[in-house]
Amino acid sequence: MNAATTRPMRLGRQSARARTGLRSRAGREALALYLFISPWALGLLLLTIVPVALGVLTSFTNYDGISPLNLIKFVGGANYVRAFKDEDARQAFGNVALLSLWLVPIGIIVSTTLAVLLNQDVKGRGIFRTIYYLPTVFPIVAGATLWISIADKNAGLLNAVLSIFRPGTAVNWLLQYTRLILSLFVIWSGTGGGMIIMLAGLQGIPQELKDAARIDGANSWRAFLHITLPLLTPVLFFQLIMSLIGTLQIYVQPLLLSAGSGVQVGSGLAGTPRRPVYMYLNHVMIQVLAYQRFGYGTALLWVMFVILVLLTLVIFRTSRYWVYYEVEQG
Amino acid sequence: MRRAGRFLLYAALVAVALVFLLPSLWVIVSSLKTETEYHAYPIRILPTRLYWENYRLALTMAPFFKYARNSLFLSSVTTVLTTFTSALAGFGFARLRGPGKSFLFMVLVSMIMIPGTATLIPQFMLYARLGFMNTYWPWIVGGLAGSAWHIFLYRQFFAAFPKELEDAAEVDGCGRFRIFWQIFLPNSLPVIATSSIFLFGWVWGDYVAPSLYLSLQNATLAVALSGNLYVNPQGMPLPMVKLAATVLYVIPMILLFFLGQNYIIKGVVTTGLKG
Repeated sequence: MNAATTRPMRLGRQSARARTGLRSRAGREALALYLFISPWALGLLLLTIVPVALGVLTSFTNYDGISPLNLIKFVGGANYVRAFKDEDARQAFGNVALLSLWLVPIGIIVSTTLAVLLNQDVKGRGIFRTIYYLPTVFPIVAGATLWISIADKNAGLLNAVLSIFRPGTAVNWLLQYTRLILSLFVIWSGTGGGMIIMLAGLQGIPQELKDAARIDGANSWRAFLHITLPLLTPVLFFQLIMSLIGTLQIYVQPLLLSAGSGVQVGSGLAGTPRRPVYMYLNHVMIQVLAYQRFGYGTALLWVMFVILVLLTLVIFRTSRYWVYYEVEQG
Repeated sequence: MRRAGRFLLYAALVAVALVFLLPSLWVIVSSLKTETEYHAYPIRILPTRLYWENYRLALTMAPFFKYARNSLFLSSVTTVLTTFTSALAGFGFARLRGPGKSFLFMVLVSMIMIPGTATLIPQFMLYARLGFMNTYWPWIVGGLAGSAWHIFLYRQFFAAFPKELEDAAEVDGCGRFRIFWQIFLPNSLPVIATSSIFLFGWVWGDYVAPSLYLSLQNATLAVALSGNLYVNPQGMPLPMVKLAATVLYVIPMILLFFLGQNYIIKGVVTTGLKG
C-alpha cells in the first residue's frame, strides 16, 4: 500500500499526492510490463530485426561469409537481376509451386474429411484421433527413414505387397516416383494438426443449427454444405494460409528422401535433391552453404519472402467473398 | 440404409488408420529382420523370428548414447529457458498495462506468422560471425529470447486468471515478480506442460539447426541418424540396424505424446498452429 495515503495530511496536498501516487503507480506498472517482456523484446531486436536488416543489406553486396568486412562491395541490384535470370531458381520455384498446387488442397480436404468423420457419433473416437495425429510427433528424420523403407526398391513394403499380385515387381519408387513419395510423406506427417484444429472448429458449431436444418428437411449432406461448411470457413481460411506458406518453404523432406535414394550430391543442408523435388529453398541453401554466395542467396530469399507476403495478402483480399464472419467486417 | 452408412463410416476410419500406422509397423517389422532376411528376394514381409540383436547393435555400433545425450541436453536447455522467458512475457502481456503494449502485442502476433526460413539464414550469417559455430550458444540465446508462439499460449492462459487473486497478493505487499512466480506459475501447470512438450519435441526432432551449427562430433540424434551411421566391416550400410536406431529415437516422442496428449491437443487448438 502507498504510505502517503496512511499519513494524516492537509486535504489539498493529499489529493495532489494521491494523483502523483496514481501516476507513479501506472508508471511502475508500465516499467514492470517492459521488464517482463524485455527478454523477448531484446531477442526480437538482436536475433531477428538486426540479422534480417543485415540480411537485406547483404543482398546488395558480394559478401561471401569469410572475407574481412572491408572487402565487401556494394553491387546494387545485381543479385536481384541475377535472381530473375536464374533458370535453376525459376525451375525450383516451379517445382515447389506445382507441389503446393496439389499438396495444399489435398491436405485441407483430407484433414477436414477426417475431422468431419470423427465429429460423428463414433465409438473409439479418441483412438482414431490419436492414430491420425501420431505421425505429427515423429521427428522429420525418422519420418523420412520410414518412407524410404516403405519405398525402397529391394526391401520396401510397396514392392513387397505388389509382388504378391505381380511377382518380381522391383519399382524404384524413390527414383521414379519421387514426387509421389514426398507427397505421401508430407500428407502423412501434416494432416494430424489440421484435423485437430478442424475438429475444434466443428465442435464450436451449435448443434441447434444442424437440427434446425434437419427439421426443415435438409439431408445430412445438404446440412453439411449449407450450415457446417460456411461456419467452418474462418478455420479453413486460416488453414489455407498456414498450409500454403508452409508448403512453399518445403526443402528438408526432399533432401532427406534423396539422401535415402543414394543419389544425393553434397551433404547436409547443402545437398542437392533429385530434379523433380529440387525446391526453391534447396537452391537458396546451396548458394549460401555450398558456394558461400551470401549476397546472392539472401537476394533469392527476399524474392521468395515477398512472394509469400503477396500471396497472403491476395488470399486475405479474397476472403471477403468466401469466408463467413458472424460479425460483418468493416 | 443407416446401418450401411455406419458400416461405411467405420470402414473408412479403420482404412485411414491403417494407412497412417503402416509406415511405423513396417519399420518395426523390418528392424527385427536379420541382414539376410532384410535383403531376401522376393521381399519377406514378416521375419521368421524376432532378431533383437539389431537393437543392441544400434546402441553399441555407433555412439548412440553420445548423440542422445546431446539431443537431450539441447532439448532440455531450450525447454527450460524458453518456457521461463515466454511465461514472463506472457504474464506481462496478460496482466500489465503500459504505453505501446497493444503495438508490441501486434508485433508479437505477426512474429508467429513470419516464415521461419526468413530469419534462419540471416541468423546463421550473424552467428557465424559471432563465433557460435560448433557451440550450443544458438540454442541458449534462442531460448533466452523466448518464442512468440509460446508467449501467445501463456498470454491466453494468464488472461483468464481472476483479478482478485492479484489484488489480494498486492495487498499483502507482493511485488509483481513474486505474484508471477508464487501465484501464477504454480497454478499454470497445464500450460507449462503444453509448452514444454512442444518445445522438447521440437528441438529433439529439429534437423536444421544442428546440421547448420554443429559438427558430427557434437551432433544430435537427428543429424547422426540422417546419414549412414551403421555400416558392416565391408562398408555396406546396415539398414535394419538404422531402422532399429530410428525406432529408439522415436520412442521418447511417442511416450511424451501419450503422457501429454490432452495438453498437446489444447495447445494446437489455442494457438491454431500444428505441432
